[in-house]
Amino acid sequence: MINLILAFLKIGFLGFGGGYAMLSLIYAQSEQLGLTTAQFADLNALDGMIPGPIAINSATYIGQLTGGFWFALAATLTVCIPSLIFVPLYMHYEKRIKSNWVLSSILKGIMPAAAGLIIAVACTLLLSTVFGVDSVFAWRKMTIDWPNLLVLGLVLGLDLKFHLNPVWLILIAGVIGAIFYYL
Amino acid sequence: MQKNWLLFKIYLIAGTFTFSGGMAMLPVIEREVVTKHHLMSRDELYEYSTLAQTFPGVIALTNACFVGRKINGRSGMFWAGFGAVLPAFVLMLLATMLYQLIPQHGVTLAIMSAIRAASAAFLFSAAYSLARYNLRDWASILLALLCLVATLFSLASAPTLIIIAAALGIIGGYRKRGQQA
Repeated sequence: MINLILAFLKIGFLGFGGGYAMLSLIYAQSEQLGLTTAQFADLNALDGMIPGPIAINSATYIGQLTGGFWFALAATLTVCIPSLIFVPLYMHYEKRIKSNWVLSSILKGIMPAAAGLIIAVACTLLLSTVFGVDSVFAWRKMTIDWPNLLVLGLVLGLDLKFHLNPVWLILIAGVIGAIFYYL
Repeated sequence: MQKNWLLFKIYLIAGTFTFSGGMAMLPVIEREVVTKHHLMSRDELYEYSTLAQTFPGVIALTNACFVGRKINGRSGMFWAGFGAVLPAFVLMLLATMLYQLIPQHGVTLAIMSAIRAASAAFLFSAAYSLARYNLRDWASILLALLCLVATLFSLASAPTLIIIAAALGIIGGYRKRGQQA
């Protein structure tokens, strides 16, 4: 449980920019806690269907998978700690802090990095779901899963073009998966 | 007491009906806190919401803590925060328990595999919007590319890269301040 709490302290205190900007951090920590890439992909799908902040959803999911209810509760409470510390601190010193240029500078540095990091996580999921390998180092063993490639392309297209609700997109993906299984 | 209950209720409702969190819940909060119950001014709410986005941690929770603290001190902060987190925790816990029951073979595995491919597509879509809003100069593009390559080839971990990026941001901000002074 200590590793879980440390992981979510890291996610909380380094988690600038919210949701998807934090997701690469969540992926890195979930890997260290022993989750598979497939389990992380499932987390991301559940995130799209369940309301609430991504970091809270992730903490609950990863905690539940690694050790059940109490782990889920511990991870969720841990990821809340930064807000509970920084808000009273800021309110207390509000009149003395004229501009929070440090925080906004940090954000300016982190957002481009977060964009690069999330592309990397997306590529890892692409490798794992379509090409059947865990990392770029295993490129010799790559195969192509055509149904999954079709699903990925179709869902990405529908998402970018029509901004469909993720629940519908997941349903479409599931139906295609089932059809190819019985073909 | 009544204010705490109200704060709890507002954030509970906002948390239950907004997906992917963050500032998606702001319109609901604004309607309840500003228009309906006159607990704070619109300007104040927006100021705290902008501020919450620059803080580390869960943005929706930070927002709830700011508003709760402002309206009813420490206990207000607790109840608003509790309301913001509770629905996500309960619903995700139930969803994860159901998910753990799904058999990982046969047709359900085929369906899950396709959903994982959809999940990869969601990430590419999220990456696209993050990149579109944040990669607007060469320095940002270079930093993003370095992070991408370093992660794909396992040269550095995500936390390390984020700390480096934060340091670069502070250096950039400090130099800009020096030029203005």
